[in-house]
Amino acid sequence: MSAERPVVLEMEHITKRFPGIVANDDVSFDLREGEVHALLGENGAGKSTLMNILYGLYHPDEGEIRIKGRTVELGSPRAAIDAGVGMVHQHFMLIPVMTVAENIVLASEPTREGVLLDIRAAERRVGELSERFGLAVDPRARVQDITVGQQQRVEILKALYRNAEILALDEPTAVLTPQEAGELFQIIRELTSQGTSIVFISHKLNEVAEVADRITVLRRGKLIETLPAEGATEASLARLMVGRDVLLRVDKSAAKPTAPLLEVNGLHVLDDRGIEKVRGVSFTVHGGEILGLAGIDGNGQTELIDAMTGLRSLASGTVKVEGVDITSRDVQGHFDAGLGHVPEDRQRRGLVLEFSIAENLAIHDFGSPPASRFGWLYPRRLLERAARLIREFDVRGGGPETRAGALSGGNQQKVVLAREIDRDPKVLIAAQPTRGLDVGAIEFVHRRIVEERDEGRGVLLVSLELEEILSLSDRVLVMYEGEIVGEFPPTATEEELGIAMTGGGRKVEAA
Amino acid sequence: MSDVAPPTPPDGVDPSGLGPEVRQSFVERYSVAQRAEGILAPLLTTVLAFFVGGLVVLVTTGKNPVTTYRAIFEGAGWSWFFEIGNHRIGLPWSDATVPFPWNVDDVESLAAVNLQQTLIVTTTLILTGLAVAFAFRCGMFNIGGQGQYLSGSILAVWIGTSFEGMGAFWHIMLAVVVGTLAGAMLAGIAGFLKATVGAHEVITTIMLNWIVIWTGSFLFGVGGPLQNDTQASVPFSNDILEQARLPILWGDPLLQGLHIGFFVAIAALVAYWVILNRTTLGYGVKAVGFNPEAARYGGISVARNYFLAMAISGAFAGLAGAIDILGWQFRLSTGDIQTSQLGFIGIAVALLGRNTAIGVFFSALLFGSLVTGTSTRNLDPEIFQPELASNLTLLIQGLVVLFVGADIVILWLLRRLRRRALA
Amino acid sequence: MTSLAVPIAARLPQGLRRVAWLGIAIGLLAAWLALPPLTIRSLVPSVVLALIAVMLGVGVAIRGERRFGAFAVAAGLFGFVLAYLATVSGVGKLESVVVWSALFAAMLRFATPLAFAALGGMFSERSGVVNIGLEGMMLMGAFFGIMGADKLDSWWLGLLVGIASGGVAALVHAFFAIHLGADQIVSGTAINFLAVGVTGYLFIDIYGTEGTPTDIESIPDVKLGFIDDVTFLGPIFGQLNLMIWIAIALVPLTWAIMFKTPIGLRIRACGEHPKAADTVGINVYMVRYGAVTLSGMFAAAGGAYLSIGFVNSFNENMTAGRGFIALAALIFGNWRPFGLAAACLLFGFSSALAQRLPEYSQSAAVLFQALPYVLTLIAVAGVIGRSIPPAAVGRPYRKQ
Repeated sequence: MSAERPVVLEMEHITKRFPGIVANDDVSFDLREGEVHALLGENGAGKSTLMNILYGLYHPDEGEIRIKGRTVELGSPRAAIDAGVGMVHQHFMLIPVMTVAENIVLASEPTREGVLLDIRAAERRVGELSERFGLAVDPRARVQDITVGQQQRVEILKALYRNAEILALDEPTAVLTPQEAGELFQIIRELTSQGTSIVFISHKLNEVAEVADRITVLRRGKLIETLPAEGATEASLARLMVGRDVLLRVDKSAAKPTAPLLEVNGLHVLDDRGIEKVRGVSFTVHGGEILGLAGIDGNGQTELIDAMTGLRSLASGTVKVEGVDITSRDVQGHFDAGLGHVPEDRQRRGLVLEFSIAENLAIHDFGSPPASRFGWLYPRRLLERAARLIREFDVRGGGPETRAGALSGGNQQKVVLAREIDRDPKVLIAAQPTRGLDVGAIEFVHRRIVEERDEGRGVLLVSLELEEILSLSDRVLVMYEGEIVGEFPPTATEEELGIAMTGGGRKVEAA
Repeated sequence: MSDVAPPTPPDGVDPSGLGPEVRQSFVERYSVAQRAEGILAPLLTTVLAFFVGGLVVLVTTGKNPVTTYRAIFEGAGWSWFFEIGNHRIGLPWSDATVPFPWNVDDVESLAAVNLQQTLIVTTTLILTGLAVAFAFRCGMFNIGGQGQYLSGSILAVWIGTSFEGMGAFWHIMLAVVVGTLAGAMLAGIAGFLKATVGAHEVITTIMLNWIVIWTGSFLFGVGGPLQNDTQASVPFSNDILEQARLPILWGDPLLQGLHIGFFVAIAALVAYWVILNRTTLGYGVKAVGFNPEAARYGGISVARNYFLAMAISGAFAGLAGAIDILGWQFRLSTGDIQTSQLGFIGIAVALLGRNTAIGVFFSALLFGSLVTGTSTRNLDPEIFQPELASNLTLLIQGLVVLFVGADIVILWLLRRLRRRALA
Repeated sequence: MTSLAVPIAARLPQGLRRVAWLGIAIGLLAAWLALPPLTIRSLVPSVVLALIAVMLGVGVAIRGERRFGAFAVAAGLFGFVLAYLATVSGVGKLESVVVWSALFAAMLRFATPLAFAALGGMFSERSGVVNIGLEGMMLMGAFFGIMGADKLDSWWLGLLVGIASGGVAALVHAFFAIHLGADQIVSGTAINFLAVGVTGYLFIDIYGTEGTPTDIESIPDVKLGFIDDVTFLGPIFGQLNLMIWIAIALVPLTWAIMFKTPIGLRIRACGEHPKAADTVGINVYMVRYGAVTLSGMFAAAGGAYLSIGFVNSFNENMTAGRGFIALAALIFGNWRPFGLAAACLLFGFSSALAQRLPEYSQSAAVLFQALPYVLTLIAVAGVIGRSIPPAAVGRPYRKQ
């Protein structure tokens, strides 16, 4: 559609090496004025590296960058900004305690009398820009008080304020609901119609097909193909991206739910600032089923899990395991009652990276026999158990005395899973269990979770990924602003869930 | 659609969204360095610190740093090992003597007296070093070793000057236990505040230091409740009763010989290792020290461990204060309280010793030698002014902390040296 | 009437905080009753009032308003101690200790070095670098200030030398903390040790055991002739050291810099989210270097005031933990100039009181030296959790 338009950006033969890997191996990429060029690839394919090079955060080892035909040296973000490049990072580069206007003008502030910050002028300018591009946002609001979708608009405004003509969006829909994503695509069309050129980074095939004019596929740092979006099918793109036919669904038989194992009743939980984040949540997990809990990040899922596992005190409500009320017990008491917990961030919460695998496996029971007696620890017994679990869970990359931090992400997660499952829990709570893992590890984790279900355990799966929720769960609950707003069968579509996740069609609490 | 990986942080970006500065505790970084370079890094740190200290000597006084360091070495009594001859040593619990290559008689050997002094100070530094090291292993920086040490001293003075006629063993035990508990309680306050309201231990322990210093100055000062009974104008305590003084191992009891506290310190080193590596207490302390968040998620009480680690840390320092009083000081003056530095030097000892038992032993020996070798009594004033030299000790100590804190510099230096060696 | 009263009422502190202020007022009232000019010779009213203040404070603190609750508890304790001391001492002695104007003047003198250091610390911490080395930087300023004034025969050259020395110490801290990514607490501690060693070494090397000479030119006082005869204010403000006036002026000035200029916005950005600052082209390293160096210069100015403006001599380790008290004032004041200035005045007042007490009792006066540190401890314990530090403070920033 835009073949005749002038080329604004050329990245030629870019190579970037990091210790141990080649992140970009002779990659070439170009962008025409007013087009959306998608960069498609798995995690670690080198998309973000390429964009960080464009934004002056990394320096390429080889290759050349030309903007509007002129060779440029992008040594710093400042140089990239001056060359007309803007970037919206996947993790927003916004300062929560400052206002929208302050965030936008930072480092290019309008001044009064040469020295004073002219915040009125900044607010005016932001107002003009948001009107021109249809990006509604209140310049005086603090960033921490606005929604994620609005924060993303602030990021886009930040780039536009700096007169960006080339805008790179790094996984922009990862934090959005399907509806918000739709609004973003609208904004993208508005921007391109006014001449802005956009690099759209994603690993989601459907949205790439929807929004892009051209698609470049990267795999393991190498350029695979650049093709027009027209005519590309999701299946063909998937094959290019992964290098083989992808498994579309997790293999599993129908669930055979048994007795209720975990009963949560009328839970109310406050966060650190005293704001009520969980508002009357009730549900039941039966043996032999996987209950999925979907929702956008920050709608109370973290607080809910923390309260259920004793990590956070709750304002009211009860938690029962096999009919026994464990609400008032401490964290250890929750584990002892039969809860297993795979925390959402294995590096920060799941593991002590400095500890060996054996020590990490002992974190719940080092205080009781056989690991210890009267406060005296038996390291040999810890090692023996670790050797057994390493075999059983196929942990690779080290033995019982290897530091957990030295393992790859997938193997770290296997250690966490091994620890929780080896205690034979009645209910397994898995929070974002596959976040950041490669395809092989994801398959392992998913298979194992299904196996645990088939053994008769109850599983509560909390994930931000709708695909994961839908492919694993036997029932799906949707959480929005601290409440359960609906229950769905696993055959529900992403759109249906998306509406519930944004508070549309609120229903009475699910059982 | 597919089980393609969910969104993750792109290459090398921190999922917290706070940038690549991954939150790494000091302890974490520390053990990385430890594994990487073992004993070489601390050695190089020491050499570097002494080198800079030597430069200072050269620039400010024009004196030869090597001669100065040599005088300090001799002042610390290490020359004793080179005075080999035909001497005899007494066997314990008898009057028999056997031949011995070194001269253990203080009357004949000045070096022997100096070495005793060094070992006395080493005893203290092992304990104050362990105090700092133990808190470090729980992720805390106990800067209050000085105050905990002093509170141990103060309580030991109080017990040791009271209870006339008590049995020697029980009197010593009582004074040592009370002094140890005083240190534990003082540090426990900081641990408690950290555990409950999150007050940073560096500020609270420093404030507690000053509170103890002024309280001690009040107690032993002119008109204070614990001032001595004989000289009303002089601010010091009564002397420790004979019965409460620690037995002397080596040297003249009147000239501050080496007391059995040395063995207490060695035992404390063993206890430190055992607690950390063979007990559930140590497991919890280390887990919290490495990653409090993961420890909490694993069911370990972070607050409890903060409190316990601080209390144990303070106990080491309080023990140091008590055995110093009962072993060789025998009285406390307000001057001692205001100028004492042994608790602070414990910080450098722990850092240089990389928080390991064996490391603490050797770095305590190093700093013990420095402190003794630069003291007014031991350093030859013809070669270097002792008042100046004791400040040199503080300087070297500061440099050690600075360089150890930036282990990266040392590692970087090491790698360069290695690369050059390979090339 | 009402139209005027409403906006004023709206501005008054709300809810718990109002109760806490009441507690603070009652606590201070307890002290005031027993002191000249009122001098009630009975302990009973003061004890009752102090008790009420403490109870209000505890009540408020339990309900979540910890900062002001702690204030009220402190005020109550303060009222009780003062009232007790006042009632057991003779009226004559009391009147010689409690001369309000002299106390306030002394408060300003004691608060000034703290304010310099705390304002400096604000720059450093707002940019994301913990500066526990303030103490050492102050000590450097104190020694090099007096040495400069002595060798160059000029107080202002001495002041400059002192400030420069603090800047150098801060640069060392900055280099280790920012460039090498060393633990900021450890490197700050190293600065403190080094400062004790360097100043002690040079002090002995240059001045030996006799100490600094007595004829060193000191920072002058500012005499305000027109205010001399004004009751109460005259004795306080009539003759204050130049550095005190500078400190007073710096409070609004630093506030304006921090919150009303692009520079302040950028400094704060580096302390909250350095990566975000980096991605819009701010050089995080430069900003942090600048802020840390500035903090060292400020702290050193406070130290120089101590040696050549206040006591006119130097002795080893003369800063005696003031840098740490300044750090506590910074936390207490929520990393804001006016807040930390108020905290410095509180600490200054307790020092002033301790200093005037020897007239009352020699040995009790020694004990009273501990008062500022006790107050700091209470303050830090009460205020944490309510004070929100800059988000990225203490974290080294690594560029990619």
